[in-house]
Amino acid sequence: MAQRPPKKLFTRKKICRFCADSELKIDYKDVKLLRSFVSERGKIIPRRIVGTCASHQRQLCEAIKRARHIALLPYSGSIQS
Amino acid sequence: MRRYETTFVLRPSLNEEEINTVIERTTTILTTNSGKIIELDRWGMKKLAYQIKKESQGFYVFCDYCSTPEDVAEMERRFRLDDAVLRFMTIKLSDGITTEEIEEATAQAEQKKMAATEDEESAADESSSSSEEVTASENVDDTISEDVEKAE
Repeated sequence: MAQRPPKKLFTRKKICRFCADSELKIDYKDVKLLRSFVSERGKIIPRRIVGTCASHQRQLCEAIKRARHIALLPYSGSIQS
Repeated sequence: MRRYETTFVLRPSLNEEEINTVIERTTTILTTNSGKIIELDRWGMKKLAYQIKKESQGFYVFCDYCSTPEDVAEMERRFRLDDAVLRFMTIKLSDGITTEEIEEATAQAEQKKMAATEDEESAADESSSSSEEVTASENVDDTISEDVEKAE
């Protein structure tokens, strides 16, 4: 394969916030916490960027989807304060 | 008896009495067949993230309770028929809860509420913090404590 310019390496050594801090609970009611895992457009940020582990990312996704159903988070569009 | 939690959103155009009637009706349905309400929390008016039935605000109510599945189905059926309820969501927390656990949970919920009201009072008075409990610090981050409208 031809030499490619090195791709920007996403930080591999990031620790999962929830694994590190056992007090942090993923709850669909906790909108402030969930907002930090959602992009400006309202999309869920992928795990490789945030650094969560697989199981916590799954729980996060479920919580975000529940919050969207209850209209605590939007499905798409910017989050109006 | 299973433990559930339900969040439902009511229309903003309802007045106090109508909101109370809806909530009372819900609690009576849940407490038939020896159901128990562990926590009933009114988050108050909040801006909805998107319009539901042309409404941009909603009155949120949160309820943590133990009940039979049939009662929950009945409550949801009523919600679907009621025009005042915009959205509802029920989540099962655990199967087969014992009476001791119920009491524990009710006590914890009350403690949280007390801590939340203490927090609000001390913040309003701008006085130095009296007692910083661990529960109080956790509740500061909790959106529920912010949006609870306590009659003053």
